[in-house]
Amino acid sequence: MTADQIREYLEPRRHEFADPRSLVLPALKFAQTGRGYLTREDMEAVAEATGYSASYVESVATFYDRVYTEPVGTRVVSVCVSMSCQLRGADQVWEALCDKEGVDHHHGGTSADGRITVQEAQCLGYCDRAACIQVDAEETQGPHTPDSARALVDELRAAPDPDEYWR
Amino acid sequence: MPLLNSVYRQREAGKPLVTLDDYRAAGGYQALPKVLAEMDPDDLQYEFMRSGLRGRGGAGFPMGKKASFLPKDSQRPKYVVCNADESEPGTFKDREIMEFNPFQLLEGITLAGYAIGAVRGYIYIRGEYEHQARVLDRAVAEARAAGLLGTGLFKSTFDFDITVYRGAGAYICGEETALLESLEGKRGQPRLKPPFPAVAGLYHSPTLINNVETLAALPPIVEKGADWYAGLGTEKSPGTKIFCVSGHVMRPGNYEIVLGETTLRELIFVHAGGLRPGRRVKAVWVGGSSVPPLGEQHLDTPLDYEALAAAGTMLGSGGCIVMDDSGSVVRTTLRLVTFYRHESCGKCSPCREGTSWMEKLLQRIVDGQAGPDDLEMLKALFGRISGRTLCPLAEGAVGPVRTALELFPDDWADALENGVPVPEPMLPVSS
Repeated sequence: MTADQIREYLEPRRHEFADPRSLVLPALKFAQTGRGYLTREDMEAVAEATGYSASYVESVATFYDRVYTEPVGTRVVSVCVSMSCQLRGADQVWEALCDKEGVDHHHGGTSADGRITVQEAQCLGYCDRAACIQVDAEETQGPHTPDSARALVDELRAAPDPDEYWR
Repeated sequence: MPLLNSVYRQREAGKPLVTLDDYRAAGGYQALPKVLAEMDPDDLQYEFMRSGLRGRGGAGFPMGKKASFLPKDSQRPKYVVCNADESEPGTFKDREIMEFNPFQLLEGITLAGYAIGAVRGYIYIRGEYEHQARVLDRAVAEARAAGLLGTGLFKSTFDFDITVYRGAGAYICGEETALLESLEGKRGQPRLKPPFPAVAGLYHSPTLINNVETLAALPPIVEKGADWYAGLGTEKSPGTKIFCVSGHVMRPGNYEIVLGETTLRELIFVHAGGLRPGRRVKAVWVGGSSVPPLGEQHLDTPLDYEALAAAGTMLGSGGCIVMDDSGSVVRTTLRLVTFYRHESCGKCSPCREGTSWMEKLLQRIVDGQAGPDDLEMLKALFGRISGRTLCPLAEGAVGPVRTALELFPDDWADALENGVPVPEPMLPVSS
């Protein structure tokens, strides 16, 4: 993502904030839509577009779970493991997806083909549909079982890549 | 007692109210023109105070009183910030308001803005709610096009607009000063208080911060009057409150009840469909995961702020997580502490280190590898964390563990001997 593209995205929003620093997080989220995570060049582009230093921009980026500063898979699958989902089988869903994608139960991770990242999520706010799963920042879905979750990942793997990566 | 859908106007209407026409047909946008034509801001603030509405995000502070704390003589612009960072485990009420009744929230924010003389409102919505944020984006655009946001609303001199601002995955940003930091483009870490946001909030300006449910309650209060609202429920807990019931119940979902009229037993067994056959209630976290759990003996507690406090817990966010006797208190408590360890922002050492220590000790107990002193060490941590941090996150981690130890001593004794096997989860019933 280039600084000009980020500027173009921010321009119509600029008047809404008394301090332009508020544009840093929207800029990071937008910059991430290019490849699904932020490279050093992306963060430098955000710095240039917002007028803050690259180190400041990185300090903001690293605070938030949904801003990725390391490469992740084409699709990021977040499995909610908080209390309500735990009671409705989230741990079994989580382990099934980790096993399917060949990543470890403790940290999750990205499949060898780079298509799918499985990560734990803290409460996604869909406890009435536990166990729930969110793909990127799409609408959270559930209830899921190990079988339905595996089928979901199969669908994702077969689907074309998204045009933009909102996460 | 029956449900009363006041905030959940879409349920009363029987359909989602995601277009302006539908919201108007259901009685929406009657309060705002009435207020702008007939009331001055102080009258409206007084109306909020008389209604007795308390903050629905968790702390339960009277909304009208909070609004009255904003200095009247400040030369700085004032702001309303809507806390839509709904992330408390077990809580999903604001999601339904924003997704299916977004205009009532916009109207509520605009009313609050008029009452304090604000120039702009911000909805800080958690990043995971991108779907709901897009519903709000469309609603804001439609309201602007119809002249319900912008300059000179209803031919008055009141100018007001609303910005939807997305977070990016951080529970701590639901704490009001951390939210303001995040909205200002910084790391979302809590501020030292005072000054409180009412005096120096967003961009150091006077700021009113309220939860989605609180602000969405304002239009009905204006439409039907503060007396009507204050007449619902009990003297100290007036009005309606949405409870989100999840966990081991047959009909998980949101239920808007009149405070004080419904017991915990009715909420679980009448509204939420009860448990699976043959199961008994083991533990209930009534107000989200940050509140101390209750046991089966507390089921007849009425759901209001005072009665729940008397029972040893808090109404909190209304995120009511129910666990039956197939679940393990010890394992669930570990899960809860893992959440707080993960979400601790790291600013205060007692929270950053303390939640991590608690998690390690609990993990040892669950794995059956606890030493003889581990439980005492866990208890000794409470006082070293509690009351020593800037924000209530650490308190939310300690309180439920402390109470779980008190209420369920046999479960802990058993866990120390044998560890805790993974319980069988309640799986979805195939339709």
